[in-house]
Amino acid sequence: MATIKIPEQKVILCGEYGVGKSSLFRRFTNNTFVTATDRQSTLGLDHFDKTYNVGDKSLKLQLWDTGGMERIASITSSYYKFAEAAIIVFSLDNSASFHSLSQHLLDVVTYAESAKIFLCGNKSDLEGEKPQVTDADIETFCEQCHNLISGVYKTSCKLADGIEEMFTDIACHLAESNRSRLELQTMKHHGFKVLPADEQTAEGSCLC
Amino acid sequence: MDEEYDAIVLGTGLKECILSGMLSVSGKKVLHVDRNKYYGGESASICPLDELFSKFGAPPPDESYGRGRDWNVDLIPKFLMANGQLVKLLIHTGVTRYLEFKSVEGSYVYKGGKISKVPVDQKEALASDLMGMFEKRRFRNFLVYVQDYAEQDPRSWKEFDAQNQTMQELYEKFGLDKNTQDFTGHALALYRDDDYLQTAAITTIRRIKLYSDSLARYGKSPYLYPMYGLGELPQGFARLSAIYGGTYMLDKPIDEIVLGEGGRVVGVRSGNEVAKCKQVYCDPSYVPEKVHKKGRVVRCICLLDHPIPNTRDALSTQIIIPQKQLCRNSDIYISVVSFTHQVAAKGWFVAMVSTAVETDEPEMEIRPALDLLGPIKQKFVSVSDYFVPTDNGLESQIFISESFDATTHFETTCLDVLDIFKRGTGEEFDFSKIKHELGEEEQ
Ligand SMILES: Nc1nc2c(ncn2[C@@H]2O[C@H](COP(=O)(O)OP(=O)(O)O)[C@@H](O)[C@H]2O)c(=O)[nH]1
Ligand SMILES: [Mg+2]
Repeated sequence: MATIKIPEQKVILCGEYGVGKSSLFRRFTNNTFVTATDRQSTLGLDHFDKTYNVGDKSLKLQLWDTGGMERIASITSSYYKFAEAAIIVFSLDNSASFHSLSQHLLDVVTYAESAKIFLCGNKSDLEGEKPQVTDADIETFCEQCHNLISGVYKTSCKLADGIEEMFTDIACHLAESNRSRLELQTMKHHGFKVLPADEQTAEGSCLC
Repeated sequence: MDEEYDAIVLGTGLKECILSGMLSVSGKKVLHVDRNKYYGGESASICPLDELFSKFGAPPPDESYGRGRDWNVDLIPKFLMANGQLVKLLIHTGVTRYLEFKSVEGSYVYKGGKISKVPVDQKEALASDLMGMFEKRRFRNFLVYVQDYAEQDPRSWKEFDAQNQTMQELYEKFGLDKNTQDFTGHALALYRDDDYLQTAAITTIRRIKLYSDSLARYGKSPYLYPMYGLGELPQGFARLSAIYGGTYMLDKPIDEIVLGEGGRVVGVRSGNEVAKCKQVYCDPSYVPEKVHKKGRVVRCICLLDHPIPNTRDALSTQIIIPQKQLCRNSDIYISVVSFTHQVAAKGWFVAMVSTAVETDEPEMEIRPALDLLGPIKQKFVSVSDYFVPTDNGLESQIFISESFDATTHFETTCLDVLDIFKRGTGEEFDFSKIKHELGEEEQ
């Protein structure tokens, strides 16, 4: 029986080192949380697919983690290519990570021009009485970026709070924009992936 | 930086990035450093267009070039053979998932002042204007022979000992004339000169098979080209290295490679910091005293607002000018890519002409190639030295890659990388174990 392939939507995580991108990724992949920056558990894994049902449609979010390149160097521009959405993460207990948002935003609009952009304030469990980043700060920032931001979320990877809601909402946004886009354009701008020979489908025409 | 590593890799050109990735995947602790602010070194694709113009000291481009950011211009032109070593490496390592490709639309060969499509199968051979009627038949027989040749099956050898007899002898067995030999050797087997005629025929048979197997995978031509330019390739391997624990540092000048007892490398110094290591892998620019110049390569980047004449408006193509056609000792290559690969603004084409330098006037040498391109809007010529390491690195544990040569594909690039990997680790990189434990994207 022929199966219809659900197209993946590449969603990338951006933001400063230490704000919790890999923790969000870990929650997304196997719903766990670790306090140590234990690289071992995600070694070699940098993206993961998960299917979301939006109304009568299925949509596959393919979430990408940075691989920690941002620790010292910058992230390669190729990380951003083909992204349908970018989640720019900052930490609610770290105002510096909030103030660097505009740089990350600039990188996204430069290298992933058509990506929808979402903002995620993580570590909401550490917000406390005197927040480092207030709701007013966040609102001002969004206004300054002229509606570039499609959605804002607060999450805690530690408490597993707000995370599924965020991904579900992002899936809805993408399903919405897909619908209008599919009507407008065809696939002709796309290249293809190279796969091992035995996985190559019959569409590669053989001239022999 | 003050830590200890198994290997420090200097430079983020394609070769160094592949090595870095392979080393990290094999469990080595890797530090990967570049003195530039960006990834890719000479293998980077230049973006935006202003940067390319200023790199060559030209005044900024006018608005006819469209948006500068839509350009990603390679400095070193190459294509991937669809069935070649680099594609195998991409698949083996899973780096393929970061990239998308397009097939190169056509492959042409130059003969007597004009270009013809390279005939790749029997049908095309019979229709080709490269040969006369009787020659076509002989060439067809030759193609069938190569296609059916199986190294394990002596019956397919037809009384020809390809391991010991030369390619010249094989051509003679089929009675192929000089012209046909020329495009077979240069446009199908992709040799740069004629030394292959006197070596065992088996190597050439394998190369022609690589060509036709590559062709069989995606049709049109045996070549692939990545969306957004070749600069995506080193970045893909860098990312692989990073997700396997490799540490990246850009914009870090390297002041010294520190040697210890017996001239063995013990670390790398940048300012006052020293990172300790057991091995160094690098490109020639980091070790000028350990390489020597073997020749020069001339490359000319041409920006065009039209496709190449006589290529059926192909949006990407390769043209080979066999050495003999211009009384040279090495072939001239032209590779063309365009807006369809996201490397140029809408309607624009980037043609690259390259060859090994043979005279004091490299620009004159490539004239005949430039003449095939039609009107050229902007032209940037560069001549670079081709460096090779003075030793194999075993004593010092400093393993140096060769500069990129004038070939238009990555086969020699991969051979160099695999050879360095073997010298450095004492192990062969095993292609037969193509695996993808990395992702679930297999459809
Ligand atoms: N309290 C708290 N700690 C978190 C949260 N998310 C991540 N962390 C911790 O923050 C540190 C950095 O997280 P990581 O995911 O590695 O950040 P990355 O560099 O952006 O990938 C780790 O020690 C995590 O355990 C959270 O929601 N709450
Ligand atoms: Mg991380």
